[in-house]
Amino acid sequence: MDTFCQFVLLNLLATAMLSLQKKCYYCQPLNLPRRMERDMRKIGFVLAALICCLNISACQNDEKSTAQAQRTEMVYASTKDIRIINPHLYSGEMAAQSMVFEPLVVNTSEGVKPCLAESWEISPDGRVYTFHLRKGVTFSDGAPFDAAAVKMNMDAIVANRQRHGFEMVNEIERNEVVDTYTYRLVLTHPYYPTLVELGLVRPFRIISPNCFINGQTKDGVSGYVGTGPWVLSEHKEKQYALFTANKNYWGAQPKLQAVRWRVMPDHQTIMLALQKGEIDLVFGADGDMLNMDAFNALQKEGKYATLISKPIASRAILLNAHQPVTKDRAVRMALQYAVNKQAIVDGVLNGTESVADTLISSTVPYCDLGLPARGYDPAKAATMLAAAGWKLGPDGLRAKDGQKAIVRLYYNSQNAQERTLAEYVQSDLKKVGIEMKIIGEEKQAFLDRQRTGDFELQYSLSWGTPYDPQSYLSSWRIPAHGDYQAQVGMERKEWLDKTITQLMIEPNEATRKAMYKEILTYVHDEGVYIPISYSRTKAVHSKALQGVGFGVSQYEVPFEKMYFENTSAR
Amino acid sequence: MKAYILRRLLLTIPLLLGISFVSFVIIQLSPSDPAEVVVRVNEIEPTDEVVAITREQLGLNKPFLTRYADWMCAVAQGDLGRRYVDNKPVAQELARALPPTVWLALTSTLFMAVCSVGMAFVCAMYEGRTVDYLLRGFIFLGTATPGFWAGLLLMWLFSVKLNWLPTSGMQGASSVILPAVTLSLTYISTYARLLRNSMVQNKQKNSVLYARARGLTRGMIWRHIFRNSLQSTLTGLGMSLPKLMAGTFVVETIFAWPGLGWLCVTAIFNRDFPVIQAYVLLMAVMFVGCNLLVDILCAVIDPRLRARGQA
Repeated sequence: MDTFCQFVLLNLLATAMLSLQKKCYYCQPLNLPRRMERDMRKIGFVLAALICCLNISACQNDEKSTAQAQRTEMVYASTKDIRIINPHLYSGEMAAQSMVFEPLVVNTSEGVKPCLAESWEISPDGRVYTFHLRKGVTFSDGAPFDAAAVKMNMDAIVANRQRHGFEMVNEIERNEVVDTYTYRLVLTHPYYPTLVELGLVRPFRIISPNCFINGQTKDGVSGYVGTGPWVLSEHKEKQYALFTANKNYWGAQPKLQAVRWRVMPDHQTIMLALQKGEIDLVFGADGDMLNMDAFNALQKEGKYATLISKPIASRAILLNAHQPVTKDRAVRMALQYAVNKQAIVDGVLNGTESVADTLISSTVPYCDLGLPARGYDPAKAATMLAAAGWKLGPDGLRAKDGQKAIVRLYYNSQNAQERTLAEYVQSDLKKVGIEMKIIGEEKQAFLDRQRTGDFELQYSLSWGTPYDPQSYLSSWRIPAHGDYQAQVGMERKEWLDKTITQLMIEPNEATRKAMYKEILTYVHDEGVYIPISYSRTKAVHSKALQGVGFGVSQYEVPFEKMYFENTSAR
Repeated sequence: MKAYILRRLLLTIPLLLGISFVSFVIIQLSPSDPAEVVVRVNEIEPTDEVVAITREQLGLNKPFLTRYADWMCAVAQGDLGRRYVDNKPVAQELARALPPTVWLALTSTLFMAVCSVGMAFVCAMYEGRTVDYLLRGFIFLGTATPGFWAGLLLMWLFSVKLNWLPTSGMQGASSVILPAVTLSLTYISTYARLLRNSMVQNKQKNSVLYARARGLTRGMIWRHIFRNSLQSTLTGLGMSLPKLMAGTFVVETIFAWPGLGWLCVTAIFNRDFPVIQAYVLLMAVMFVGCNLLVDILCAVIDPRLRARGQA
C-alpha cells in the first residue's frame, strides 16, 4: 500500500476513534459542554495528523533503505515514447532500437569493430564484402542467428528501397548466403561508407526471422526480437517501456537487470522527478531533454553527477542562397563576420561548447582542411555590406535597389534553446543594419518550410558522428531537405550534388580526400552556413548510478555499461 | 418529461451530422498535403512518386463528398479509420486514451464539486465576515494562477518536498490527485462564486424568513437554500465534464498522463487527420450528451422545471 493510502486510512481511523466516543457523531449531540466537545475534536485531529506524519516519515525511511539495498532496475526519463522500434524503419526512438537490435559491425571511436560479424574481407575493387558471422548467437526468441537470417533481413530492407535515404541501399546489387555462417554483400559500385552505414542504428540491424510478416518488414513486424543485450518485455504506449537484460546474450551481460524508459513530456517534470529520485538518468543532445540553465543548476547543486561528451555534431545557421537578401554572396560572407559566436557559446551554451570556425569539425574524417576562420568583426561586416551596395538608411536598416535588408529565421518552437540563440543572432545582425525576424513554428510546419525553401535563415544541427561527413553531405542532394533548398541558389549546386554522388563510390582514398576538400571549401567560400559551435551530449544522473558514458553517436545511450553502486558486477 | 427527452434525442442527430461535416471541411482546408504528411511522419523522403502512391493508397484523390460519405459510413459501423503515423485503428487509440481521461475528469469534477460547494456554503453562511473575504481571495488566487505553473508548484510541494504523492505518470490511485487538483483550480472559483451569490440571494427571500418563523432548524433551512441555488451551478458543473475531457493537454503533459488531450495535440502536430476527425466527433457527442443529462438532472432536482416542462 502506498504512503498516501496509509495516510488516508490513519486519518479515517482517528476520526472513527473520536466518533466512537460520541456514538453517532452527526445525530446525537454529546452530553459534554460544547467548548469541551470542540476542544476534544481539535486535539483528536492534531493527534491523528501527528500519527500520520510519523508514520509517513517512517515509511519513507523504510522505502528508501529497501530500495537502496536492491536496485537492479534503472529508470530513464525521456520526453518521447519509444513508439515503433522496427529496426528497418525510422519511426521509433533510436536509443531504444539500438538496445534490442544489433548490426553486423559497430561504429566505435576507434573505427568500425566486429559485432555480429567476427571478421570480414573486402574485394580489391571494393564491391564485394564477405562477412564471417559469429557462431552460437541466438535471437532472444531462440531462433538461430546465421547467414540465412541476415539475408532475410537485407532482402526486406532492399524491398523497401524507396523509403531509405541512405545511398547504400541503392548500391546493393545482390546479397548471398555462402554457407551457414558466411554472408556476402555485392555492391554496384565501391561505396566507401558501407561498413559505417552497416553499423548505424537503422536500417541495417538484424531482427529475428520469426518477426517478419509475409517475409517482409516494411509494413510492420509481429514482434521486436533481436540479439542485443536487452529485450523489450513491456510497452505501455505513452507511459513506459520496460527492457530486461537478455539472459542469452552472446556478449558481456548488462550489469542492470532492467531499464524502465519512462515517458515525461515536460522538461520541468523530468527535473522534479530527478530531484525526488523517481528517475535515475536524463540524457540529451540538443536541448531536447535538458536546457543549459537546468544543467548548470544541477551541476552547482552537487547532488547529481553531470557529464558532457566530446563534441559530436555541428550547430549552424543555414543561409538560403535563393531568397532575395541572402542570395547575394556578399551578404552571406558579411554575416559570417557579423555573428558573435563566442557570446552565443558563453551566453546560451554556458561555455560548454566550443566555437565552430568550420561547418564540420576538423576532427571528423576528411574535414581537417585548414579552411580560414572568420572571427567576429562587425566593422568588417559593415564594410563588406556597404561595398556590395547595401547602404545604411536613416532608419538604421540597409537597402539595395529598393530591397530592404530584412530576413526571417525559423526554428522549431519546441526547442527553447534555439530561440535564445536566434535572439543573439538577431541582435548581432541589427548592429550591422540587417533586421531579422524570429519565427518559431511547430515541428510539422517547420519541416514543411524546409521542403519549400521559404526562409532566409534556419537553425541547423548536423547528425553528428558517425553520420558526419558522408551521410550529412549525402542528404544535401535531397530536395526535401533544408540544406538542398538553401544551396540550390549556388551557382555550382548541380556540380556539388554530382560530386557528392561520385565521391561516395570513389575507390581511391586520395581522390576522395581531394573531392571532400573541393566540396567543403566551395560550401565554406559560398558562406551558406554560419557555423556556431560543436554540440555535445549531456547527461545528469543520480550518484548511485555508475558506468554512465556516451556512445559514438548522440542518438544512442550505452545502458549496458551502467549499474548501481550496491549491485555487484556480473 | 419523456416527450421532452425524446425530442432532445432526435434533435441531436442533425446536430451531430452538422458538426461532423464542419470538422471534415475544416481539416481538408489545412495547407499541408495529408499524403505528404503521412510520408514525412513515417520518416520517408517525400519524393513526388512516393507522395502520389500514398495519396492513392489513402483514397485522397477521390472527390470530397465521396470521402465524407465513405467516412460517415465507416463511422456508423464503428470504424474510425487508421492513424497516419503507424496505421493503428483510431478507435483502438481512442479506447486506450479514454479511460485515463475519464478518470481524471471525474476526479477533477468531484474535487471541484466538493470544494465549490464547501466554499460557497462557508462564504454564504459567513457573508461579509473575514472568512468570506479570505476564501474569496484564495479562490481568486487559484483562478489567476496559470494551470501549468500551479501544477508544477503542487508537484514540487507535495511530491518532491513532502514526498506524499508521485510526480507524474498513471501509477496507482494517488497519482490522479495532483493532476485533478491542478485541473480543477480554474473552475472552482467560477462555481464557488456562482453558488455563493445564488445562496446569498435566496437567503434573503421571504420563504426563508417564513421557514425560520415556523421553527425549522438551521440545517434544514440551509438545505432548502442550497437546493434552490443549485440549478445554474449544476448546469455549469455538468458542462465542465466534457470541457475537462476535451482540454486537458497542458495538465496531461506536465503530469505525463496518457489521456485524450495528449493524443489529440500530438495528432494535430502530426497532421494525423483521422485522429483529429474522430476526436472532434467524440467531443461533440459528449457535449451534446452531457448537455442533455444535465437538463434532465436539473428537472429532477427542481420540481418547478418539471412542472414547466409538462405545461
